[in-house]
Amino acid sequence: MKEKVIALIEEALNVPAGTITENTLIADVEEWDSLAHVMIIGELEEKLGIVLPLEEAIELTGVKELFEKAGIE
Amino acid sequence: MSRIAVLSNVNMNFVIRMLGKEAEVYQAEGYGNELGTLMNPASSYHAFAPEYTFLIMDLMELLEHELEPETAKGKIQNWFGGLEAALKPEVIYYVSDAYLWGVELAAVFEPGRKAALEQLWQQELEELCRRHGNVRMLPYRHLIESMGETTAFSMKMWYMGKILLSNEAQKLLCGLILEKLKIETRTPKKLLVLDLDNTLWGGLAGENDITPIELSEDHTGLAYKNLQRVILQMQRQGVLLAIVSKNNEQDAMEILEHHPHMVLRGEAFAAKRINWQPKHENIRDIARELNLGTDSFVFWDDNPTERELIKEMLPEVAVPDFPDKPEKLAPAMVEIYKEYFAKSSITEEDRKKTAQYAANSARQELERKAGSFEDYLKQLEIVMTRVNPEKHMERLTQLVNKTNQFNLTTKRYTQGQMAEILQDEEKRVYLYSVADRFGDNGIVAAVIVNLGAIGAVSKRVGSGKTATDEGFLDLLGLQGCPVVEEFVMSCRVMGKNIEYAIMEDVEADLRESGYAFLRGMYLPTAKNQPVAELYDRLGYRRLEAEECGNAGKPESDGNVCGNTGKPESNGNVCGEPTGRVYEIELSKAPKRLHQVKVIREA
Repeated sequence: MKEKVIALIEEALNVPAGTITENTLIADVEEWDSLAHVMIIGELEEKLGIVLPLEEAIELTGVKELFEKAGIE
Repeated sequence: MSRIAVLSNVNMNFVIRMLGKEAEVYQAEGYGNELGTLMNPASSYHAFAPEYTFLIMDLMELLEHELEPETAKGKIQNWFGGLEAALKPEVIYYVSDAYLWGVELAAVFEPGRKAALEQLWQQELEELCRRHGNVRMLPYRHLIESMGETTAFSMKMWYMGKILLSNEAQKLLCGLILEKLKIETRTPKKLLVLDLDNTLWGGLAGENDITPIELSEDHTGLAYKNLQRVILQMQRQGVLLAIVSKNNEQDAMEILEHHPHMVLRGEAFAAKRINWQPKHENIRDIARELNLGTDSFVFWDDNPTERELIKEMLPEVAVPDFPDKPEKLAPAMVEIYKEYFAKSSITEEDRKKTAQYAANSARQELERKAGSFEDYLKQLEIVMTRVNPEKHMERLTQLVNKTNQFNLTTKRYTQGQMAEILQDEEKRVYLYSVADRFGDNGIVAAVIVNLGAIGAVSKRVGSGKTATDEGFLDLLGLQGCPVVEEFVMSCRVMGKNIEYAIMEDVEADLRESGYAFLRGMYLPTAKNQPVAELYDRLGYRRLEAEECGNAGKPESDGNVCGNTGKPESNGNVCGEPTGRVYEIELSKAPKRLHQVKVIREA
């Protein structure tokens, strides 16, 4: 599932595969702006059924945190 | 790439970002100030100057959650009033129709309130579209309905970033916008050629004793009936239909005229070829009869061998695939409609099209009966009316842009450019509708005359010199005298010498305004051979290159070319080796053979 999530993020950001890792922080990726962030949250819900509560989705800072909050092993 | 703007009262940045791959998109400054953006002449929107502007409006936001009908009505009317004041003729606008959505709607007691509020928007939008030929409706509502509210909207994205639609819905909206852009920019096809057996119905005609054809109110028969319903709707919107089918004509006609479930009756078709001739020959024959180019044809047949034959013999004909299951027929036809035939707007001309072509066949019958050509023309009782082009700008633009055969210069214009021409005092636009005893052909011909800029006055009678005086040769060209820049006539009315009446009317009008000379030009294309000799037939004199002044100055490659012969935008005329310039002295214009009664509308 982790690979699927990372691939989905890379596709949404339109960046080459391998750019995003578990340690990536949102602030470090230029393409990951607030609009892209909303898109990613939407894609996670629509495509993978991963639903983050609103506040957590807004305050998310990086990929590892996403995995933890969504309970992805 | 088209230049487009997407304005909204909700966050559309994702849609704008996606569209950026396919078009040049205006980078909106936020959202929710769409009217301010349109109205402010100093806005970056106007600096960007989009050709197409899409207004995607969320009704709930626009109403500010005010659901009382009277208050809502006021807000909606205000918005449309503001939009109308900001419209520019050179821009095409698409405005979304309404889908009202919001959390409190489920708690509204009256079940009809949502529809009533949406209807207020709909009514204003429809009226705006009627008043302005450059405003069209974007079927946003249908997009939401076909997805369903729960998949189309996303409350979470709304809370996070004022993004109303789910990612999926935003992608579909993007597709809808691109589909409309495509329709705006491609030339639509005109005629759909249909097979009968296993195409319009299941099974084979003429074998009813053994197995009846499949066409009914249920099962596979209903799938065929639904296909016919789609085709009938297309026909009512101006798509011409033809049958090219290998059958015994009697068997097929029996079904066409009498089968209780036929939706398409005989009169729905502009031409029929039910015989055993090769299909490409029948198609060529139809093209001749209806005076259409086969490149405006789409061929639909269940038999792959026939489709291959047409692709081979008539590569200019579009041959879409045929679905493998009857239930896919109707949806496939809808796709064909969108791909080849859909237009950005439907005019009155389109609605009457098949009847007009059918009347043409009756005219041909009369031609056979009448003795001489002149008698025939007389019996037609042709009446031509010069109408006000400003009232019919949409038709004018359509006519100029889609006429290929009877088109002397083959320039194309956007609606905006046409609006400018109508305002230009140096241009005169003549637009004609034609009727005869068999029916009204509608608006079928247009002439645009450029009166010439600086030197025009010296060409007028009373200057004491004629244009052929030596000293005036240089004025003769570019600026010296009025030039027919554009002369188009629909192929529906060709062959009745109506063009003679048109030019006599234009010449008379220019003479009345004091002009002594008129020039015309012929710029050849692959299609306009039929009018290659038009000016010769009209009695105009061919100008030699050196006589043309600026208008006919030979380029280094020896072509007749010049400012009058050079369309400003596409500039492809200079390369044409046989472009010709003609001139006539208006007082010496001959009387030509025609039987047209001319009315000048006030």
